[in-house]
Amino acid sequence: MSTKLINTLCPFCGVGCGINLKLDSNDQLVGVEPQKNHPISQGKLCDKGWSTAYAITSPKRLTQPLKRVNKTFYPISWQEALSTISEELQGVIEQWGSQAVGLISSARATNEDNYVAQKFARAVLKTNNIDHCARICHSPTVAGLKQSLGSGAMTNSAKDIFSSDLILVFGADPTENHSIIGGQIIQAHLQGAQLIVVDPRVTRLAKLANQHMQLKLGSNIALINAMLHVIIEESYFDKTFIKARCDGFEHLAQHVKSITPESVEKLTGVSAQLIRTVAKAYSQAKHAMIFYGMGITQYMSGTNNVISLANLALTCGHIGKAGTGVNPLRGQNNVQGACDMGCLPNVYPGYQSVDDEKAQEKFSQAWHTEVVKAPGLTSLGMSKAALSGNFRALLLFGEDPAVTDPDQNQVKSSLKNLDLLVVAELTLTETAKLADIVLPAASFAEKEGTFTNCERRVQKLNQALAPIGQAKGDWQWLQALAKEMGSEQLNWSNSEEVFNEITSLTPQYQEMNYQKLDDNYGLQWPCTNNSPNGTAILHSTSFPIGKAKLIAVNHSDIDEMPDEDFPLQLTTNRLHFHYGCGSMTRNSPLLERETPAGILFINPIDADNLNISHFSAVSVKSRRGYLETRAILTNDVPLGLVSMPYHFKEAPSNQLTNTAQDPVTKMPELKACAVIVTALAQGKIPKTIEQLQQES
Amino acid sequence: MKIYLINDLQRLQQHLAKNYQFHQVVTNSDGQCHWQQIASETTKPVVHDPLIYEKPQSSAKAFFFTEQEKVLVFNGEFFQETIPTPKPFVLFGVQSCDLTAIHYQDKFFKDDPYYQARRQQCLLVGLDCITPCEHGFCPTVNAGPGVKDGYADIILHPLANKQWLVIEQTNKGAQALKDLVFTETHWHYLTQRDLVLHQCEKEFPDDKYITDGIQKINSDEISSEFWRKLAIQCLGCSGCTTLCPTCSCYGTRAIKQDNNHFSQQRFWDSCLYEGFQREASFNNPSAEAGTRVQRFWQHKFGDEFFTEFSRHGCVGCGRCEQTCPGVIGIHSVMKRLTEERGQKNGQEDTNA
Amino acid sequence: MLNHIPDSIELVDYIDDGEQARHYHFRLLNLKIGQNKNHQHNWQQVQPGQFFMLNVPSVGEAPFTFTEPPNEQGEFRAFIRQMGQVTSALFTMQRGDILGARGPFGSGWPLDKINNNNTLIVAGGCGLAPLVTLIDKLADSLMDKPENKQKLVLVYAARNKATQMLTPERARWQKQIKIFNTLDEYPNASDEYPNASDDASDELPVTTVEGSPLIILPKALSTFTSPPTTALLCGPEVMMNSIATYLTEYGMASDAIFLALERRMHCAVGLCGHCYINHQYVCKSGPTFSWQTLQQLKGL
Repeated sequence: MSTKLINTLCPFCGVGCGINLKLDSNDQLVGVEPQKNHPISQGKLCDKGWSTAYAITSPKRLTQPLKRVNKTFYPISWQEALSTISEELQGVIEQWGSQAVGLISSARATNEDNYVAQKFARAVLKTNNIDHCARICHSPTVAGLKQSLGSGAMTNSAKDIFSSDLILVFGADPTENHSIIGGQIIQAHLQGAQLIVVDPRVTRLAKLANQHMQLKLGSNIALINAMLHVIIEESYFDKTFIKARCDGFEHLAQHVKSITPESVEKLTGVSAQLIRTVAKAYSQAKHAMIFYGMGITQYMSGTNNVISLANLALTCGHIGKAGTGVNPLRGQNNVQGACDMGCLPNVYPGYQSVDDEKAQEKFSQAWHTEVVKAPGLTSLGMSKAALSGNFRALLLFGEDPAVTDPDQNQVKSSLKNLDLLVVAELTLTETAKLADIVLPAASFAEKEGTFTNCERRVQKLNQALAPIGQAKGDWQWLQALAKEMGSEQLNWSNSEEVFNEITSLTPQYQEMNYQKLDDNYGLQWPCTNNSPNGTAILHSTSFPIGKAKLIAVNHSDIDEMPDEDFPLQLTTNRLHFHYGCGSMTRNSPLLERETPAGILFINPIDADNLNISHFSAVSVKSRRGYLETRAILTNDVPLGLVSMPYHFKEAPSNQLTNTAQDPVTKMPELKACAVIVTALAQGKIPKTIEQLQQES
Repeated sequence: MKIYLINDLQRLQQHLAKNYQFHQVVTNSDGQCHWQQIASETTKPVVHDPLIYEKPQSSAKAFFFTEQEKVLVFNGEFFQETIPTPKPFVLFGVQSCDLTAIHYQDKFFKDDPYYQARRQQCLLVGLDCITPCEHGFCPTVNAGPGVKDGYADIILHPLANKQWLVIEQTNKGAQALKDLVFTETHWHYLTQRDLVLHQCEKEFPDDKYITDGIQKINSDEISSEFWRKLAIQCLGCSGCTTLCPTCSCYGTRAIKQDNNHFSQQRFWDSCLYEGFQREASFNNPSAEAGTRVQRFWQHKFGDEFFTEFSRHGCVGCGRCEQTCPGVIGIHSVMKRLTEERGQKNGQEDTNA
Repeated sequence: MLNHIPDSIELVDYIDDGEQARHYHFRLLNLKIGQNKNHQHNWQQVQPGQFFMLNVPSVGEAPFTFTEPPNEQGEFRAFIRQMGQVTSALFTMQRGDILGARGPFGSGWPLDKINNNNTLIVAGGCGLAPLVTLIDKLADSLMDKPENKQKLVLVYAARNKATQMLTPERARWQKQIKIFNTLDEYPNASDEYPNASDDASDELPVTTVEGSPLIILPKALSTFTSPPTTALLCGPEVMMNSIATYLTEYGMASDAIFLALERRMHCAVGLCGHCYINHQYVCKSGPTFSWQTLQQLKGL
């Protein structure tokens, strides 16, 4: 029974729903309810949101700093933790230089935490070695859209769903991963908007859609080029828009001239007729909106896939207006913010390039210290350098790369190779188990700050609870550590002061302040002198790079095709019950009950051939790893394709996935690799990866 | 049963706050209505908000059947019951839909010691609704807009000029009002109340699709294919069952402590979850989402349940419509049902 | 008021019995003969087919049936197969450990209908467990009163030999009643399972065939001199449904066929909602239902 209600934000995906936390008379979090008047979620939540109370109040929460000696963790004081970290860091820097240390921040932490993290790296550690998990979800979005449009974010807003005549969902599963936006797409479709889904799996939206293009893994560019072929050949394109706003049309037209729908039928698995139908529908719709997800980005061709989608929207003039645009569905609640804050090795806050001398000057001045000019390492770069011994100390918070990064075995050995690994977390995650020092982090309910959702809306997070035990917010412990290291660079007394520093250095956030955010359910960037109330639709009159660029791109095969030894294709997906590595959602007895701990989706015909029955134990093996899990038989995956969610540490799909990377962003090809699936003995319980590794 | 006419609602609020922990629906800065403890015996009530007619986002059910509740502890040797011991509290201004739900749950949880321990301590002050609310259809399911006799200890009915009719309903209500000097008033005010409520009922939108839908749910006209299709839109969020004032399913779990001690907790569950009926052997009688969605509506509108509880399981608050991200709340489903041609009849037609 | 609180029990002993299955021996603690006022539950009046909730501390609760109801010393037995979290945790517990139990719950087998009437019993896998106390009772009375004309036939279905449970019990009954076994996976040609023969011996010959229990039903039914008036089924629901359908086609009344259902249960007192079938709860109205009732409930 609640006696108090705190309005704040849902801590899960990038949609950024409004949530109220219900506290009882002992200030215990007992439940939640949705905010009826919130502009995005409008009184709705998904199952993750509804389970928030379990995620935060888990008995597994860390309450004090821990130090690992061999395999055992011992509680220590904050002072001991900070001085140990400080000494170790300074030792490494003295011996190996600043390029040997780095920080991985979190798309789950606030803008304030992220801003302070990159400032800590750049102004205190003197390195650009700062990254976060956008690397493995939407780095190709940032790289691709930046080239095509000049800005790597969702061009439109969630509310545009209701002013669109046609919604094209490309390589995204919004009802599972961004349920509230997924629901709004359903609602718009019921109200008359056409719905077209492009996905190798029969997603929930595919079942409801007017058209489903069930393409083969990794054939996005071929399919889009063929659509462009039809659009140009049939003169469906928007001549006026292209003339006024785009460069490179002639070259693109030339490029796709020979790519007829017929020529890609075999490659894509989509009939030429359907390609023509969809090309016409999309280009001829008055307002057509593209949503895309990791089915676009998690490929070696990720950046080119994104460029290709931008080509499609630009050619048809579906950009810069209500109900249109190219809209990446971002995974984490604050992945947009973590990027905005410059938790990337190549940019400062506000995407100001670290190569740019003016920017270097600006930040050196603002931070009263000379910033480093040497380029930084990405998270995977840090992993690699750790393996070769060139990278020695890592601070990491709110992420679990030992579960979520591709090729876990390599990630684990690289983390083990470090002289110092510090992890700040809510619970003892798989990554935290490898740490030398573990710091107890405050949950979203225990701190103040801001999150930036996928539609660039910077929203205010309100503190509902006192931090559990000795837990601290991320920027607070970073500030304490900086002081311990003798630096006065980090010095704020509250989150609002951090935010004010952010707005003074981040052009997109310029006109924001806490009061304004509170008054308006947040503001969408750019929020500048010209647009003091924020911007719902980007690029309505011009692009940040002047004219948009149509860039011809080629299909490239996925790195690892099935063969005799590994006859099935494995892709990854997410379940709406779980979020990321499951460290929060799996504390809910309801969500945890929904599936066994680890599952593989397989077509019933494939299953039958392999003598696999529903929920029976199977083994899955790729060139990189082996695991055991349970099979779910479903026609939602086509013949020859199996799919695994990555939420389960017992059976992590990243044991199997490929590390081949997008050359531009180093995004690994998580969406496709080759595996062999075998039935285990009837009645057998699958072994967890931990059990398997102990045996070997 | 006494009837009073009062000019100053605050006097009543203050009086009750002296003897009870006082809860009332308030509006927060975002315009959201919710139950809020306004005063207890330790904190003096400062200003009492006026009563509002918008229904709170969450119903009052959590006051009796709580989101999470410890039911027992084990000390390594014995299991001990942990019955709550709440102080007397008043829910001031419960609307008729939610009161009907409490009445429904009083029956269902009649022998449940945890529910009853809380329920016994509660004084219910009901509030008549005199205008329809968004998504509400209480008259259709006989749950409002006026408070039903016996469903509250005291009923409040708003009159013009900020006057209120206070109607005693139970001994508990009479006791609570005992020391207050209020003017007793004439029975004819009750007639006036009836007129106002009747007028309010007429203002509700046409509900034919709901009554038709209920009939269809109880016929064998609706194919499992209809439910299968509808259930594609069930995102399994549990919002409907969480906000539904009559939903009462719960799960249990052990919460481990040190040295073999543990406590057992029960928590709100949802029959829409795939795991709700799945057994350890993975056998699942309701593995299909369509079966589960059908079950939910059967539980709210099925004749079998009507017979058992003398009313529908639905109290017409419309919260499920507002909170369902997949657009299959009450109004959407009932409209879809009435659009659905009875499959079996349809076949007969074509055969004929 | 309903009582949600288990009584403490001691794990006295267990024996392995079949694949990942054990026969457990428990004892209610602090139970003095004749005075169980410390005890919350009515342990001395268990009917065959009723169940109890076993509480494995720090893990959870799950329903099981008695293979031997509590005696005056509070000792009882249950047959348990390792399946989910609760049973997996139970299988790691040691003799002498303390657990909890509450019950008995639900309605048992319809004894009044079975008495002195020809009865067919069909069980699949672990589904034999809820029938043990009943078969024991009936078999004993058959032995005690030869003049009793009642006849009892058991059809026992299992996936393969390894999953045939309750071996000692079946060996015991072999002397008393006619048993037919079916196996989905039949062993190789060897004569491990002789087919029915007319050998005159003490023991009634056990017939074992390959396939589903439906295959052996005609033969099983033909052993009755007059058709059975009651049939008791327990096993996977799909199997029970097909057998019930067969038996009604054979001519049995649907209110003479009884099925014991399995459902996920938390409260066992009709509140938590998990074990619903339509408007009824298996924990209260069941777990034993007549085929007639079940068809109505399921809208079949």
